[in-house]
Amino acid sequence: MLRTRRVGRGLSMAVCAVLTFSFFTACSRNKTGSSDSITVGVVLPITGREGKPGQYQREGIELAIKQINQNGGILVKDLDKKLPIKEVFYDDTSDQAKSAAFAERAMSSDNVVAVVGAYSTALGEAESVMPDRYQVPWITTGAAASTIFNHGYQYAFGTLSPTNLLGSTTAEYLGTLVDQRKLTKGLKLALALENTDHGVDYGNGIKEWIQQHPGYFVVVFSENFDLGSPDFSGLLQKVKSANADIFLADAHLQDYITMHRQYLQSGMRHLMISYGARGPESDARKALGDGVDYIFAGIWWSRNLPYPQVKKFNEDYKAFTGHEPDSWYPATAYDAMRALAKAIENAGTLNKTAIRDALRKVQLNDSLLPGQTLKFGANGQINTPFVIVQNKPGGKVDIVFPKDAATGDSIAPTPKH
Amino acid sequence: MSTSPAPLPIRLLAQWRTFAPSWMILAGLAVMPLLLSSPNFIRLLFVTLLWITTSVAWNLLGGFAGQISFGFAVFYGIGAYTTALSMNAGVNPFIAFLVSAITAAAASLLVGLPTFRLRGPYFAIATIGISEAVRVVMTNLSFTGGASGYRIVEHRAFRQLDHYYTALVLASIAVAFSVFISRTRFGLGLNAIRQDEDAAAGLGVNPYAYKLGAHALAAALTGMVGGVFSRYAAFIHPQGVFGFQTSVHILLMPVIGGIATIWGPVLGGVVFGIVEEQIIASFPEIHLFIYGSMLILIILVEPGGILGAFRKLLRRIHGRR
Amino acid sequence: MTLIEFVNLLASALLLAGIYAVMSVGMTVIYGVMKIVNLAHAGFMMLGAYLALELFERFRIDPILAALLVFPVMFVVGRVLHWLLVRRLPTSDQPTLASLLLMFGLWLVLQNLGYFIWGNADRSIYTSHTLSLLRFGAVTISTVRLVVFGAAVACMVALHLILNHTWFGRSVRALIQNRYAGQIVGVDDQKTASITFGLGIGFAGLAGALLASLYSFNPDFGRPFLIRAFVIIVLGGLESVSGVAIGAFVLAFVETFGILFVPAGYQLALSYGLLVVVLIFLPGGVAALTAKVRRLA
Repeated sequence: MLRTRRVGRGLSMAVCAVLTFSFFTACSRNKTGSSDSITVGVVLPITGREGKPGQYQREGIELAIKQINQNGGILVKDLDKKLPIKEVFYDDTSDQAKSAAFAERAMSSDNVVAVVGAYSTALGEAESVMPDRYQVPWITTGAAASTIFNHGYQYAFGTLSPTNLLGSTTAEYLGTLVDQRKLTKGLKLALALENTDHGVDYGNGIKEWIQQHPGYFVVVFSENFDLGSPDFSGLLQKVKSANADIFLADAHLQDYITMHRQYLQSGMRHLMISYGARGPESDARKALGDGVDYIFAGIWWSRNLPYPQVKKFNEDYKAFTGHEPDSWYPATAYDAMRALAKAIENAGTLNKTAIRDALRKVQLNDSLLPGQTLKFGANGQINTPFVIVQNKPGGKVDIVFPKDAATGDSIAPTPKH
Repeated sequence: MSTSPAPLPIRLLAQWRTFAPSWMILAGLAVMPLLLSSPNFIRLLFVTLLWITTSVAWNLLGGFAGQISFGFAVFYGIGAYTTALSMNAGVNPFIAFLVSAITAAAASLLVGLPTFRLRGPYFAIATIGISEAVRVVMTNLSFTGGASGYRIVEHRAFRQLDHYYTALVLASIAVAFSVFISRTRFGLGLNAIRQDEDAAAGLGVNPYAYKLGAHALAAALTGMVGGVFSRYAAFIHPQGVFGFQTSVHILLMPVIGGIATIWGPVLGGVVFGIVEEQIIASFPEIHLFIYGSMLILIILVEPGGILGAFRKLLRRIHGRR
Repeated sequence: MTLIEFVNLLASALLLAGIYAVMSVGMTVIYGVMKIVNLAHAGFMMLGAYLALELFERFRIDPILAALLVFPVMFVVGRVLHWLLVRRLPTSDQPTLASLLLMFGLWLVLQNLGYFIWGNADRSIYTSHTLSLLRFGAVTISTVRLVVFGAAVACMVALHLILNHTWFGRSVRALIQNRYAGQIVGVDDQKTASITFGLGIGFAGLAGALLASLYSFNPDFGRPFLIRAFVIIVLGGLESVSGVAIGAFVLAFVETFGILFVPAGYQLALSYGLLVVVLIFLPGGVAALTAKVRRLA
């Protein structure tokens, strides 16, 4: 330690130098907010656990930005000219602390008018503190848990309907199958929920619906599991022992694939099976082949929705990225960006509070989402209905609920292989 | 050391020249936010100061005493949750930080009492086990919100400088502790334990008690950092604050900088706090590659970390040996 | 619980143990000889998985055979990395922090390599066997799991034989027992270390390639396995193949059966709790206990 003292002095100078250097690099990105473009922050994971869905959402946002800019940008009345949108992107590496840090960085130093992004509940929750702190509007495209929106935040918005609506829609869908005599009354449900707010809300939605509609179903098993586990045989054995008729899980993409593979490998069978908001992903079909047939999922959007704007979006997205939209991910992000653009135009200024006020009133009438109207509720979250899709043999995915959007009939109960 | 019988404060005063640069850095850091009010820069400095504190704290046990712990996320997380729970119960944040320090130190005794009987890799791996078990329990514990995380509601406007100066004071305390300890009998004892535990015991050092002491001190500092962080972040989650990654980061910082030194852990904290984020922000597609290669290079150039490399350089410049 | 359920669980625990064993054995050899905790283990598993996928998709090679082909490739990768990086580390009887940092950095680089080459999609190997089942009355066993288990066991037996019946194995064991004494009696420790590192990486790749038939993976693959591998090699006493097998069995059984007694969310707390208890009361691992029993008998 004697030697330490000798070099300590020179070293302290080095610390000084590093600090100064870092200061200049930290400031170098501050110049982004010039007057000839509108800067929007995008914080999403493209590496780590949530990398894939995060990337899909980024593609949705970037497609919207590209299209808006191709039309000359957004007309800002105050400045009396059309300005293009400029994206400042940060990869939060699926890490909560970084997610919050980058949202804060964008809001405080990149001179953004809003931040869009935050895929997955946990990352969104970490970011949700920042919008009100810096009074910058924030639209989450991938976090739906109610805990984000019941704190009275004034600058937080979300383009995903609440997860308990997902739960109750799932139960309602099963209820209509009972009404159609495809299933019988009094069936037993087993629930395996991911141990997050998403899972909790989903389970609550199902249980609420069952309470309001007595006689349809009984829950015989309900347990939480940890995401990212390599083995679910114990949990599945418990589900098996519960002797339920219907198996409803709520999981992330990887866990859905791992769990369902083990489900099939252990020879289990239920009348109906769902993994919450996961099901039609192409990665899952590549991994499990026909094994994913007949799984149904409640999702925020489907590329099979029979709206002209959805058809156009599918084509544009394919041209932009080279692949079809996978499940719901890009759509909520695409619409969030469009709603923001419209709000900026309505506000007629780049003042963030004015944009926030405009977001509260904005209405997207050609929304991709079910119901075709996107409007933020009083708590900042939208409340569009869910669609239930079912995987059909041959890789087809049909919307089976609600009736007016359906592209095919439900196959219920699951036929024997 | 044996030729300096004067009391310690006088010795420290006498060495003011050695400490002059440190005072300059401190003064610079204290004034800087007043001159440049970039919130992002202040946030970066704030985070860096927190990492510096954990890094210096870990170094007390892992560097000076040579006990490699993979479990500092436990104290970080306990500190974060203690502050969060206390603040939501209406406790003043600064008192909450102290409570965090005490809880974390108490937890360190619980961890240390059984595990300090183990040596080398066995101790390291036991701390992994404990830290992961705690994380899993915290993910399922209902009164802390479990896997939903926990939100801190503070009923006053957010003032970034409050947080910044808290972190600055904390980091200064940590560095001062580190300097102080390295110059006391306690520090010598820890050093002896690192070099040869049995020989140290033979010389009248009680390794078990010394290790527990260093552990508790390190845990208290880390717990306070957790508390300061949670007040700033206002939302904490067990997968984050109790995560294995957190432990690994706390451990790697001193290694990057130079282990068992005063300034190495500080440098490591700077690399980790500022450089990593700048890399991620500037190169979103290849940040893992750049950061990873940087770590590899640092360690290959000089296993003693940045400080070791710097020392080599100095020696070469001065032409000594 | 009925008998059938019990047998079913027993079967899945056994199969899981095989997977756990093969994924930990590479880490053990490296630790035993070089005292390096391979934090990049998960990265090499990921690489192995993608190599198997490429072999399967491009050349239609059966995934299990592909896994066996991955082994020599990764062995070479390991030796190159040893020559390039690892041999520059200071040698020690204790795990050094420098090696931890090196391996951590390597892991990050490997992950980025994965993202760069293969993107961040969840990939998987799907064959006609993926979902096929073997039925023994009411007991069902997944064919792929059984095959993977068989391959894993075969590879571990091969490694065990190499270590116990060849000159190379002898020098490895000598270095594990006492590095300096080994050098004195003429063991070329650099060469042995290089081959060992290659073996360790080879086994990591092999494990990843085998697991590719069971899981979907992306460049972040292996993270949940890393800590489990730590647990297993400690349970097994850190340095022998048979120890790893024992450790893997213990962990797999605790995980599979533990869930019957605690809520699913607490399952992992049980395994990690077990690890700590073993360490405190049985610092040589379960393997030391069996050795003791054997000596007494």
